[in-house]
Amino acid sequence: MKKLLFAALAVALVLAGCGGGGKSDVVKVGWLGALTGDQAVWGENELNTVKMLFEEYNAAGGIEVGGKKYQLEVIGYDNKGDPQESVNVTKRLTGQDKVVAIIGPNSSGNAIPMAPILEKAKVPDIATVATNPKVTVQDGKVKPYNFRVCFIDPYQGAVAAGFAYDRLNARTAAILYDVGDDYSQGLREFFKVNFEKKGGTIVADESFNSGDVDFRPQLSKIKAANPDVIFMPYFFKEVALSANQARDLGIKATLLGGDGWPSDQLISMGGKAVEGSYFVNHLDYADPAVQDFKTRYKAKYGKETELNGFLAHDAVLLFVEGLKKAGKPNGEAIAKALEGIDIQGITGRIHISPETHNPEGKDAAIEKIVNGQYVFQEKYAAQ
Amino acid sequence: MVQFLQQLINGLSIGSVYALMAVGYSLVYSIMNFSNFAHGGVIMLGAYFGFFSLTLLKLPFAAAFLLASVGTFFVAIIVERVAYKPLRERRAPFLYFIISAMGASILLENLVIATIGPTFRTYPEVFSKALIELGPLAVGRLDLIIFLISAVSLTLLILFIDKTKLGKAIQAASYNVKACALMGVNTDRVILTVFGLGGFLAGIAGVFFGMKYTVYPQIGNITTKSFIAAVFGGLGSLPGAVLGSVLLGVIETFVAGYLSSQFRDLIAFVILIAVLVLRPTGIMGKVTEDKA
Amino acid sequence: MDWTYIQGILMLAGINMIAVLGLSLLTGFTGLFSFGHAGFMAIGAYVGAWISASPASTPAGLGLPFILAIVGGGAAAGAVSYLIGRISLNLKGDYFCIATLGFGEAIRLIFNNVNRFGGARGWPGVPGKSTFVAILVADVVAVLFLANLVKSRHGRNMIAVREEELAAQIAGIDVFKYKMISLIISAVYAGVAGVFFAHYMTFIQPKMFSLTKSTELTIIVIFGGLGSISGSVLGALVLTALPEVLRAFEIWRLVFYGAAVILIMVSRPKGLMGGMELTPSGIRKVVAERNALREAKAKLLAEAQSGEED
Repeated sequence: MKKLLFAALAVALVLAGCGGGGKSDVVKVGWLGALTGDQAVWGENELNTVKMLFEEYNAAGGIEVGGKKYQLEVIGYDNKGDPQESVNVTKRLTGQDKVVAIIGPNSSGNAIPMAPILEKAKVPDIATVATNPKVTVQDGKVKPYNFRVCFIDPYQGAVAAGFAYDRLNARTAAILYDVGDDYSQGLREFFKVNFEKKGGTIVADESFNSGDVDFRPQLSKIKAANPDVIFMPYFFKEVALSANQARDLGIKATLLGGDGWPSDQLISMGGKAVEGSYFVNHLDYADPAVQDFKTRYKAKYGKETELNGFLAHDAVLLFVEGLKKAGKPNGEAIAKALEGIDIQGITGRIHISPETHNPEGKDAAIEKIVNGQYVFQEKYAAQ
Repeated sequence: MVQFLQQLINGLSIGSVYALMAVGYSLVYSIMNFSNFAHGGVIMLGAYFGFFSLTLLKLPFAAAFLLASVGTFFVAIIVERVAYKPLRERRAPFLYFIISAMGASILLENLVIATIGPTFRTYPEVFSKALIELGPLAVGRLDLIIFLISAVSLTLLILFIDKTKLGKAIQAASYNVKACALMGVNTDRVILTVFGLGGFLAGIAGVFFGMKYTVYPQIGNITTKSFIAAVFGGLGSLPGAVLGSVLLGVIETFVAGYLSSQFRDLIAFVILIAVLVLRPTGIMGKVTEDKA
Repeated sequence: MDWTYIQGILMLAGINMIAVLGLSLLTGFTGLFSFGHAGFMAIGAYVGAWISASPASTPAGLGLPFILAIVGGGAAAGAVSYLIGRISLNLKGDYFCIATLGFGEAIRLIFNNVNRFGGARGWPGVPGKSTFVAILVADVVAVLFLANLVKSRHGRNMIAVREEELAAQIAGIDVFKYKMISLIISAVYAGVAGVFFAHYMTFIQPKMFSLTKSTELTIIVIFGGLGSISGSVLGALVLTALPEVLRAFEIWRLVFYGAAVILIMVSRPKGLMGGMELTPSGIRKVVAERNALREAKAKLLAEAQSGEED
């Protein structure tokens, strides 16, 4: 057994060692995200997107940087959705694989501990859907090597609260959230603050624990409070389950959610229960700008892209622009070039603020579920 | 009052799902004296077996149900043969069994992720999901069916253990495996039967879980709760496992409904610890002599 | 291979090693099994972060030196373990194990709800003070302390409790006291490991300290071999590196990990170094035992042969 284990170790080390070499005209870009564990759906989608776009760039002759053509290569690693593994992977990407930039991850808990390593290695990271403000700014100071292409939780929470109060004329709201999940706790906090600031009342504030599947005890309590809307800031599996259970209990209130909602699975699992619900999204699915990417992805992988694909797409666009602007494939130069950069992505205009490294002024889209389709309502900016 | 009754219904419905899972834990514990954490993985496979029998093989429900249970029957036996039998033969301490079980549970979960994929799947609608409304109260049709089939299968199990020769052997072995072997009982066969029965029940539990909620590779994690229920009722006692499950379901629901949902799981663990300290054998657990 | 990457894994292994050494005392030398030591790590991590984080950051800390964080984190974990021990140490083996599972999960759930410490959103901005040298020093101290403890009268009493609890009691050993000492020391080790972990990651979240983490620690102890300090050291190194080595297998790596765990349990139940130590005298002992065994075999064989000749 011991021999076997050591043989496996040796083989794996050799395998790992082989990946290191590369030609000089190749720019290596890292990617990290979950390929195993409960977030694997999104990780797979992001990595597929990055691979597809890089192949397309390479087929078109590569990227011209400082008068020289470069091919792009992605080195993607699984982090299981575990921050400790994210730290390992970041060290591996920056130290061993010598990437010039990293794309991902898709959650804030995994993005935050990367910062010190990125700073030491001088390699920028562009997060896809890490929406916690602290990914790029800690204690009022911007982290020099962390960037993102998505809006942040306070903004999303404010949009959801504003939309509920102003457009849906909701005066009372209930919240159901996942107490074990950072994303869910964040959105819940900012929704609550903003909805109350507008003059609304939170009549029930209930939580569940990551991994729960039965929400009826909390929903029965919410039913008794009779709210106008129920805010459900978590991911689509739980959304579909809780929506079904809410309707089973006879709750008629409008359901409202965030960017954890959009997915084919929500419609197939949630069915009638989510009909007529609203959610905040990063983009309008019907927008002509995104159709091309959707078709290409479907053609290549035989399935629809998740929301993460769109943001990974824009992270790649942002990286390529940064690389061109930097004029050389060097992490530090790319990080400098990314500050203040202004591009048109498929999810909207992305103007990276030098103060926050966030895409400032990116509007959120409100979608409504009608007949099992996502119907774009409006671009809504929080006031 | 309406709220109270509705919460009671919610609690019973949650408890009945726990019960089907908890019985598998208790069954194995009664003979082997260890907590078989691979049971959750077997339940998860049962949910997948049922799902694919219905969607890919397009079998009628009864056939799919049977196929899933027979499938997990064999999975449970294979797990026993691979992960526990060598330890059994060596009389390894119980912790080795638990670790081996956890290895098996990691293996099963990730095997499914690697081969079938990480996405969740929805069972086709077998029974109408229409509600039975009793005034302002809502009872799920599926809940009732689950409750009935669970009750029937658990009764059959208890009858099997009480009335058949093999069942008697299981009872005897749960008192003292060694003495039982000396009396000429084939303990290996008894143990296989126990795992097979546990596996069969895991299949039923998996299919119901899938129908009621959804199918995904991490279903096994939810069984921690049913394990607590089994401890609550008294590890090793089947009626205890059922009672513990129903009580845990109801208590949890009332904590979430009347105290605070933040504390729903915390209360479950507090109950676990309180039971262990005050009455380690649970409500109806078998009393084992202290060998220490 | 690149040094920062290797160093990172070694640091993680070193941090795990501290926790594993503590658990090794509890499990390997005293015979108590725990599935809740991630909870003690969480307490150490949070208290340590609170002591050393800057008062200007959110959540705010005290801004005190790292050494105080280590002391405070370890002491807090030890204090909590005392309370838990009072409640649960009288439980029999497997029930104690289940109780620790409950405590570990309860601690995590409580941190999820404590907004002062960031709740589930976690605590970013913990100063990155876990250097390679600091971890190395801590590991050496941890090993030396444990090695001396095990050899002392107290250590022998703990082993007596492991071997025959009833007999130890009759022989006048205060079983409860020694179980308690063992639990507290193991919790302090886990707490200190938590402090180092927090200052290595610079970010902590309750979900980092789940049941999976507790299980991982226990698996390492058993993999290394019960009752062996060098086994725990080796186990922490090998098993922390294993997932990284298996990275080449992509989505299959956890399948291999699960299979490896079963294989180790089934094929080598004593772990890498069960009951043996990698010290000169330990090696001499093993060699002597092997030689004795070989001689005995040869002698038996010779006797059997001479018997045939007769």
